[in-house]
Amino acid sequence: MFFQQLINGIVLGSTYALIALGYTMVYGIIELINFAHGEIYMFGAFVGMTLVTVYQMPFVPAFLLAMALAALLGITVEFFAYRPLRRSSRLAALISAIGASIFLQNLALLVKGARPYSFPSPFASEVYKTSLFTISRVELIILAISFLLMLGLTFLIQKTKIGIAMRATAQDKDTASLMGIDINSVITITFAVGSALGAAAGVMVGVYFRTVTPMMGLMPGLKGFVAAVLGGIGSIPGAMLGGLLLGIAEVMGAAYISSQYRDAIAFAILIVVLLFKPAGLIGRSLQVKV
Amino acid sequence: MKMNKSYFNVLAVLLLSFVLVFAAAGCTQPGTAPEQEDGANGESAGSVVVKLGTVGPLTGGAATYGTSVRNGVKIAVDEFNDNEEAPGIFLELVSEDSEGDWSKAANAFSKLIDQDKVDVIVGAVLSSETEAGGPIVKSAKVPTISPSSTSTGLTLDNPYLFRNCLSDEVQASQLAEYAVEELGLGKFAILYTNNDYGVALKNAFEETANSLGEVLAVEAFMDNDENFKPQLTSIQQKDPEAIFVAGYYTEAAKIAQQAVEQGLEVQFLGADGFYSPVLVEIGGDTVEGAIFTAGFHSGDESPTVQNFVNTYEELFGEEPDMFAAQAYDAARIVIEAIKSKGTTSEQIREGLAETKDFPGITGNTSIDEEGDTIKDVLILKVTDGVFERIR
Amino acid sequence: MISAYYLQIIILAGINIIMAASLNLITGFTGQLSIGHAAFMSIGAYSSALATLALGFPFLPSLLFGAFVAAFFGVLVGVPTLKLKGDYLAIATLGFGEIVRIVFLNLEITGGAVGLRGIPKNTTLLWVIVAVLLTLFVLNRILNSRVGRALIAIREDETAAESMGINTTYFKTLAFGVGAFFAGIGGGLFSHYFRYIHPGSFGFMRSIEHLCMVVLGGLGNMWGSVLGAVALTTIPEFLRASADYRQLFYGAILVIMMRVRPQGLIGERMAGKSFSLGDSILKKLSITKKTGF
Repeated sequence: MFFQQLINGIVLGSTYALIALGYTMVYGIIELINFAHGEIYMFGAFVGMTLVTVYQMPFVPAFLLAMALAALLGITVEFFAYRPLRRSSRLAALISAIGASIFLQNLALLVKGARPYSFPSPFASEVYKTSLFTISRVELIILAISFLLMLGLTFLIQKTKIGIAMRATAQDKDTASLMGIDINSVITITFAVGSALGAAAGVMVGVYFRTVTPMMGLMPGLKGFVAAVLGGIGSIPGAMLGGLLLGIAEVMGAAYISSQYRDAIAFAILIVVLLFKPAGLIGRSLQVKV
Repeated sequence: MKMNKSYFNVLAVLLLSFVLVFAAAGCTQPGTAPEQEDGANGESAGSVVVKLGTVGPLTGGAATYGTSVRNGVKIAVDEFNDNEEAPGIFLELVSEDSEGDWSKAANAFSKLIDQDKVDVIVGAVLSSETEAGGPIVKSAKVPTISPSSTSTGLTLDNPYLFRNCLSDEVQASQLAEYAVEELGLGKFAILYTNNDYGVALKNAFEETANSLGEVLAVEAFMDNDENFKPQLTSIQQKDPEAIFVAGYYTEAAKIAQQAVEQGLEVQFLGADGFYSPVLVEIGGDTVEGAIFTAGFHSGDESPTVQNFVNTYEELFGEEPDMFAAQAYDAARIVIEAIKSKGTTSEQIREGLAETKDFPGITGNTSIDEEGDTIKDVLILKVTDGVFERIR
Repeated sequence: MISAYYLQIIILAGINIIMAASLNLITGFTGQLSIGHAAFMSIGAYSSALATLALGFPFLPSLLFGAFVAAFFGVLVGVPTLKLKGDYLAIATLGFGEIVRIVFLNLEITGGAVGLRGIPKNTTLLWVIVAVLLTLFVLNRILNSRVGRALIAIREDETAAESMGINTTYFKTLAFGVGAFFAGIGGGLFSHYFRYIHPGSFGFMRSIEHLCMVVLGGLGNMWGSVLGAVALTTIPEFLRASADYRQLFYGAILVIMMRVRPQGLIGERMAGKSFSLGDSILKKLSITKKTGF
């Protein structure tokens, strides 16, 4: 049973990790908690669902198109709600982000209605059994896609020109712009990539749990944010680790301690971790300049 | 950047003035019914307008339940007006959003009572919302009937609060009896949603099932959860014959799906929260054979039921769930009270309190002296993707 | 005679002023970002309601009892978590808020998922007005004293404050304790007004709402909190007229208001225009040099 629960935790955690990546990338660049990220995740799931069920598109192109459209939405939100506030206090931008989140959620509710939509699984529901655990095909696909996306992101950040520009911008905007980096386009690309990852998570979770609703971004959005902080916000490997750990903590808490207190246990673990590692597991420690 | 900003300010001013126009127009606009026009024309001098309010979550995580309730009430109100069931009396519907938060529901109740001057309220939806509204409607003396708040003792000591829904205790214990006596099941697990509905069902089922058989595992989940694997894995270890899911249809469908996926082949049992086409839409084959209690059955051949189901599908493009059906009946009970007693709040209250053997689409309904409902419990089974009545 | 509906909105606005002003002490003046203020409110609401119901306290003692229990938890949470900075502190307070909500949802004594009913309706407009005035008065006195100057020094530059001999941990904990105390008063007024409480109304969205009031009004300005609380209490009620578009407009209004007045309704423009990440997070929290009223 322990291994089965561990697998349950890893699958759940890998979706949290993908959401957390979107938060952490944006945070790394402009120190903004992008509250509307959960709604981007929801939007991605809706686009994927519509393409697969209404337009009969095969899964892979639908998945990619959902990511692309969500990237566009992310850029739009950045342009309208965050860019004008870039030189204001961080909290002003945070409130604007909350407003954007409420707006998008209720837009979806008005357009799509409150009743959950079914997202039929495009994969055969095959189950693989080993002596220690069983795992379904969908779960394996989710793990594989998450792994590939994280690998791709690491490559993008570490090896490509735009990745170098992103890292430079994250370190010091003024110097980066003196070096000829166009800060605005770097921020735009960051939002696009982060939103695409959020949409990927949304589509995968939609397929996994076979439902899409306008409210689906609320809790995963919060959990993704928590995962990003747990790992050390601004750190990409931190977001991956934080997501996995949060998923495992939640599952183990529900399995071995109490399912009633599941979320309380996960949050208690978070607080304890932060007390020992005040900047998250792999966070850059904050240097206060005197 | 400069251009951009001034353009934005224009947009902002436009949006704000749009809001203000709405606010100004809104005092008379209840946000519903194009049919109202006809009714308003038909209403000549000397006719009475009775205002009926609804309170429920139209946004937020519970929006799907609140929307169903509003839809169900709207059908009853339109029917009454269009058929001129009581010539000279016109019903006007005003719906307010509670966001699923009881303190905001309290604002909605006050607004309906003081601003819109409603005569009667159908609502609220969640038990906590109705709990918060209870003292308000009591002191304002506005009769209120909730279509779905099942919390134990909700209507006690409040002559203005009624409800039209199955009792959690009654349906859970009847289901447990049926499962043991008719289905021959003995070993149960319970998976409940951690709100008043789930907890009350869990307690009642656990008590009866333990006296007749054995409850091996009890696990909780939260509203709007998606992942039930940890709880199901724990339940699987205990090897039960049946799982009683004390919760609503979306979660129930996902539970069935995830259980079957991990090889947990058991009988699924549930309560009236299962009743929605969404159960089958999402659950597919995995909910096949699930057995649950309900007050409503759309397969019932009586003309009132068929009429309701058809109208609902025509207007809203989907099959009604149990929230819609109970809300429709609650509004019909109000209408009966208006017809038999009169149009003032006090007369409607008297009528509601005296409701006896009302032939609703959710069965024969009586209201007892405490404002609680007495009605029959049906037992349904999912057969070939359709709900079939087995008792 | 004003209608019961307007009275209710005025009372809620008053309670929200207490919530926003006490959060402003923590976030606006001391620079500690907290997204768990609703937790202190719920602790105050539940403990004062239980004091009335189970212990038979009169209204004032039960209000104070709730406030002290909330303050106790404020200090209890403050001591270990206040070494966390910026968003890490924010997430720890958010976690604390969720833990409190889940505990109330599962405890027997609080009525669990059914909620706590039958609380006497002791909160009147007069009580609320007195509580608001006292809260603002006490907070103002604190801010215009040595303590207030220490809090602002911590917000402006924690390291420098420390080197000037300010015991930053002590003062930060003090700010949390005092903030939680008044949040507890707000909670007690809340439960004795609605006569019923349920954990569902004390989730993280409620904490976010409090934060919105503070930022919208203007960080570090008590009059701003008053204005922000009144605005965010009444706007959703005005928007009821827009029926199904209500929440959509509400979201749009938040975005627009921040765009038009990023410094808050009352507040000075941010002094530094620097956009460098090198600046400490704490510095970025501070947007006004104004103190108190």
